[in-house]
Amino acid sequence: MLNSRVTTSLLQHPTSAAIRRAFISSSSSPSSSFLSSPFVRSGPLRFPTPTATTPSLLRHCSSDSHSSSLSSNPKSKLPNANPSSDKSTWRAMAEKDISRYLRQTHDRVFEHNRAWAAEKKKADPDFFANLSAGQTPEYLWIGCSDSRIPAEQITGLEPGDAFVHRNIANLVCNTDLNVMAVINYAVRHLKVKHIVVCGHYGCGGVKAAMSAKDLGILNPWLRNIRDVYRLHEKELDAIPNEEERYNRLVELNVIEQCKNVVKTAGVQQSYAENSFPIVHGWVFGFNDGLLRDLQIDFEGMLKDIQKIYNLTES
Amino acid sequence: MEDDHFLYALSSNNAWAGYKSHQNPHFFPKLADGQTPQILWLGCSDSRCPETTILGLQPGDVFVHRNIANIIAPTDINTSAVIEYAVAHLKVKHVVLCGHTSCGGAAAALGDSRVGGVLDTWLAPLRAVRYANKEVLDAIKDERARGTKIAELNVEAGVNVLMANVTVREAIEERGLQVHGCLFEIGCGRIRDLGLGTKGRGGLGLDGQEDVVRGRHAQIVFRGGRGEMSVK
Repeated sequence: MLNSRVTTSLLQHPTSAAIRRAFISSSSSPSSSFLSSPFVRSGPLRFPTPTATTPSLLRHCSSDSHSSSLSSNPKSKLPNANPSSDKSTWRAMAEKDISRYLRQTHDRVFEHNRAWAAEKKKADPDFFANLSAGQTPEYLWIGCSDSRIPAEQITGLEPGDAFVHRNIANLVCNTDLNVMAVINYAVRHLKVKHIVVCGHYGCGGVKAAMSAKDLGILNPWLRNIRDVYRLHEKELDAIPNEEERYNRLVELNVIEQCKNVVKTAGVQQSYAENSFPIVHGWVFGFNDGLLRDLQIDFEGMLKDIQKIYNLTES
Repeated sequence: MEDDHFLYALSSNNAWAGYKSHQNPHFFPKLADGQTPQILWLGCSDSRCPETTILGLQPGDVFVHRNIANIIAPTDINTSAVIEYAVAHLKVKHVVLCGHTSCGGAAAALGDSRVGGVLDTWLAPLRAVRYANKEVLDAIKDERARGTKIAELNVEAGVNVLMANVTVREAIEERGLQVHGCLFEIGCGRIRDLGLGTKGRGGLGLDGQEDVVRGRHAQIVFRGGRGEMSVK
C-alpha cells in the first residue's frame, strides 16, 4: 500500500488542485500558510514566486519531460509499477530479478537527473546559465549528515539559495578548520544573511556520544556533545524520561553550536558592520517533518559571548 | 526584511511537510524509525549543488558531508568522523565524491592572492593539487576550462585520500564498498562519472559489472564509467 502510493505519485502527474489541497491542509500550524503572505506580494526581496517554491519532489513529479520519458520507454517500467504489488513482493522481486531488470532497462544515464535538468530548463531557459554565473545564497545551513534531512528539500529552497555544511551531529567546533572555513567563506565572501544551525530529534550522533563505547576516530568528534551535556548537567539529569532527555540534549546542542558560530570573528565583525548575519537554531522532527525554531535570542547571545570572546576591535 | 527570508524557509517547510504527509501518511513515521542510506555523498557546500535534489532521491537516501571545495584531507577530523560513521556504522554501499564546475574554491586556489582567515589553510590541499599539475593547468588558456580541470584533479586527489583511508579500505575488501569520483556540471545540471576509485585505474575494479545504488524512489547504476539513473 505504502509502496504503491509512492509509485503512483512518481509516475503520475499530481494535479495542481491536489497540491493546493495539501498546502492548505498544512496551514494549521502557527507559521504562515504557504498560500498566504509573505509569498504573495511584490517587493525588493528575491523570493521565488509561490509556484517556484513548490517542494522539489513536486517538481520532480510534475515534470512533463520526466513523465513522458517514462511512459515513452516501455523498458523503464519496473516490477513495482503494478500498484497491486505490495512492498514485500517488490523487495523479493528486486533481489531475485535485479540482474534481469538491469539488462532490460537501458538508456538511463542519470535519467532522473536529466529529467530534473530538462524540467528546470523548460521552466526557465536561463536557469543553469544563471547558476553558472555564480551564487548569492541568503542562508548558510549547518546541519547533520543524517540522510533524512536534505536541507533544500525540507525547506523548499532552490539550488543557489543555501550554502550547506553537514557533519556528524551538526557540530561547530572551534578548532575544526573545515566548518570554520565554511563560516568564514559564507560570511565574508558570500555575505549570507542567516546562519541556521539545524539539529534533529533522534540524532544517532548524539546517542552514540552518550554511550560508554570507544568509537575510535569518532571519539574526539563526539566528545563535544558530552561537553554540552556537562554544561547543562543539572537540567538534563532532572529529566527522568530518557527520550525526552535526549531530545533536550539535541536542542541544547544546537544552542551551544549557535554560540560557537557567534564566537567567530567573521560573524561578530560582519554583524557590527552590516547588522547581519543573524544566527538561528532549528530542530527538525521526523514525526511530522516540521522544523521547530528554538527562537534563540541572537542579540542577547552575541552580547553575552562578547564579554569573553569579543573579536571586533581593529 | 531579514525576518522574511527566515520565515520563508520555515513556511516552505510547513508546506513541504503537509504535502509529504498528504501524499503518504507513513512517510514521516517511517523516517523516524531510522536511516539506512546506501550512499555517502561528499560534496561542496556550494548552494548550487543540493545533492538529494540533483540526484532525484528522497530523505533517507543519502548521508551527506559538504565542505568548501569538497576537499578530503586525511587528517580532517570532521570528514574523518563522517566517513567512519557512514562506512563503519551505517555501512553505506557507495561513497560518492562529487566536485563541480564554477567552484569558488577552485578559482581561489588558482589565484595567487591570500584569501584570508582560515581559508588559506583549508585550501592548502587544493593549492598543492594546483602546483603538482602546473603544466597541465597552465596549458589551458580558457579560465573556465582551467577551473573545471582543477575541480577534476581535486576529485581525483580526494578519491586517492579516500582509497587510503583504513576504514574505507577494510570495507572495500570485506564487503565490496564502492568509491566513485564525479563532477556536477552546473551549466547543464548533469553529473559526470570520472571513472575513479574502485573502478578506476589501479582500483579494485569490477570492470564491465554493474553497480546499483538504490534509494527509496530512484536508483543510480554505475556502469563502464557512466552513472545512469532510473526512477523506481
